Amino acid sequence: MKRTPYFYLVLFIAKLTRRLLLMLGRNATNFPGELAIWLCKSFIGRMPKPEKVVCITGTNGKTTVANLVEDVLDRTGADFYCNRNGSNVYSGVASLLISNSDWRGRPTKKLAVFELDERSSNLILPYMRPDLMLCTNIFRDSYKRNAHPEFILDFLNKYIPDGVPMILNADDMMCSGLKPGNPRTYFSIAKQPGDGGGSRNIVQDVPACPKCGGELEWDFRRYHHIGRAVCKECGFASPRAEYTVTELTGTDMQADVRGRTCRFPLANSAYINVYNSLAAIALLCELGLTPETIAGALGSIGISATRYMEEEANGRKAILHLAKGQNPVACSRAFENIRDYPGKKAVILFLDDFFDAQHTVENISWLYDADFEFLADQSVVQLIAAGTRHWDVYLRLLLAGVPAEKIDHMPNTDGAAEALRTEEPDSVFILYDVYTISLAEDTQRLVMERLKKEAAKNAD
Amino acid sequence: MRIEVLFPEYCSLFGDLFNVKYLQDCLPEAERIDVSLRDEPELKGEGLVYLGPMSERTQERVIKKLMPYRDRIRELIDSGTAFLLTGNAMEVLGSYIQCEDGSRIEGLGLLPVYAKRKMMRRHNSVFLGDWNGGEVTGFKSQFTMAWPMEGAKGLFTVKKGVGLNKKCPYEGLRVNNLFATYLQGPILPLNPCFAKSLLEAMGAPGVKLAFEEEAVEAYRARTADFHAKVR
Ligand SMILES: [Zn+2]
Repeated sequence: MKRTPYFYLVLFIAKLTRRLLLMLGRNATNFPGELAIWLCKSFIGRMPKPEKVVCITGTNGKTTVANLVEDVLDRTGADFYCNRNGSNVYSGVASLLISNSDWRGRPTKKLAVFELDERSSNLILPYMRPDLMLCTNIFRDSYKRNAHPEFILDFLNKYIPDGVPMILNADDMMCSGLKPGNPRTYFSIAKQPGDGGGSRNIVQDVPACPKCGGELEWDFRRYHHIGRAVCKECGFASPRAEYTVTELTGTDMQADVRGRTCRFPLANSAYINVYNSLAAIALLCELGLTPETIAGALGSIGISATRYMEEEANGRKAILHLAKGQNPVACSRAFENIRDYPGKKAVILFLDDFFDAQHTVENISWLYDADFEFLADQSVVQLIAAGTRHWDVYLRLLLAGVPAEKIDHMPNTDGAAEALRTEEPDSVFILYDVYTISLAEDTQRLVMERLKKEAAKNAD
Repeated sequence: MRIEVLFPEYCSLFGDLFNVKYLQDCLPEAERIDVSLRDEPELKGEGLVYLGPMSERTQERVIKKLMPYRDRIRELIDSGTAFLLTGNAMEVLGSYIQCEDGSRIEGLGLLPVYAKRKMMRRHNSVFLGDWNGGEVTGFKSQFTMAWPMEGAKGLFTVKKGVGLNKKCPYEGLRVNNLFATYLQGPILPLNPCFAKSLLEAMGAPGVKLAFEEEAVEAYRARTADFHAKVR
């Protein structure tokens, strides 16, 4: 697209605004870009791009994958920038293009890595053609924003440009079918001990063959529609992957990388984290890094500090676990992780939508798509639901089969830590949403204090 | 007592199948029949027929599937068989769906209603309405708005939120024991009074609901919140 004098004026104004905001100590991750787009609708299209643009999208895991990719690039001294801590919507992307360019808009770095919200792809992809595009998976997400997965799939198919090389999840029949005409590379986790054939989840977004509607025969179904299957009617099957995890231990994984056997360290062996690491590895390899370089860099990185944090006192833990509200699949994954975590567990649930809780009545339908049934396990000794919708969460837990005597519930989130029965659990999970991180951290501190007191009492 | 669930593998986008699960919890002896879109419906006419919300492409497949059963469904509605249709399932039995490009998808023509679809305009709202002297709470999240046609009878009177369309004074449609509403998700566990009415229509009056006291408490807290926060 042509760069008119008006475009340069807009760029100048946006850059000046950014300078001013930074001088005033204000946040400049969104506003300069928002202003530029407001003044010039095609701003992203007119802005010069770095030599290589990588976009990471998908329902779940895109932030973690983007963070991993960026951490590895950081440690290998790559010349790049990314939208970490920034916004993954179009104003954030425009702001980044502005901040990583000189006064004439020329990029100051060679590579850009963008985490891209699926719902913003229509505002970005037509104006910024990626050189490589990764999609982690496609699941149902917020009903309000994402409607249903078929809508998101159609949306991505419409706005991802033809010909862009794709990196896709081979174990997700919806994701692997994205942009069927584009060149593609797949990643997969081979069948592992314990991978079964039946679905234990409420949400099943690929109920039949995506091509013909025929019955699928599952080799294994790991969770929801993640697994490998073949259609009994038309033979449509999960694709073979170029990047396949073959073996998992608690601390590392063995993978077949385009025919070579390699090992990579793992911070966390829950499947969602393995998929995230694997997606990042596939992307980095496609960018030209060697598996050895990637493995070396991964060794020094934990999983993103804001997503999973634990503290320990006398062998007992208080664990913060992200469970994105309004996202039934992300919550189901969290619930299953908790069930499978060793020892006796107590769980504090902060599930309310932070904004809705203040201004309206949250659409809580999603509670009935999330597998609370995982929490009806013997090893879960106490559940504490705190927040505006606590009665609704309580009812959902009862319907999931959790005995009433295991549940405490209250409107006030401050009371959650106090309600904990400290004698029983080996670990206390605190589930929170991205917007309630400070509440979760405060609660974690209170829980730790109580666990320490309990330990001191027992020592006396 | 039979609960026939039409195409559950496709027609539950917002936790809707829990309506059926809840009825099963209330009626442990009821028989649940799940009919796959690959199979043929039974439509025996006892108990309940349930259809939940679905994607736009699925809507067309479901209409095609049910078209040969149109007369049978009409017979069941006329003779008072209970139906529960949630979300855009109403459109399947309605007159037609008008798409953005001006094309029309013909429905079964059994309900006096038509819908207009706008894929880039998702409507989200919260709802409070009158039902049978009590109140019903719910949530809407949809691409369509609906317009009632001659002879239509509303289900819930709008108190807060949006009815079939922004000007319509009521939400949903009722024909005999057929209850159709755009309210999505688990409307039965969330609305004990409505669940009781449905059970009565199914031929199970006076049944105690599963976790009735707790469901009523949750409902009361939510309704109070609606009155306090929603204009
Ligand atoms: Zn097939």
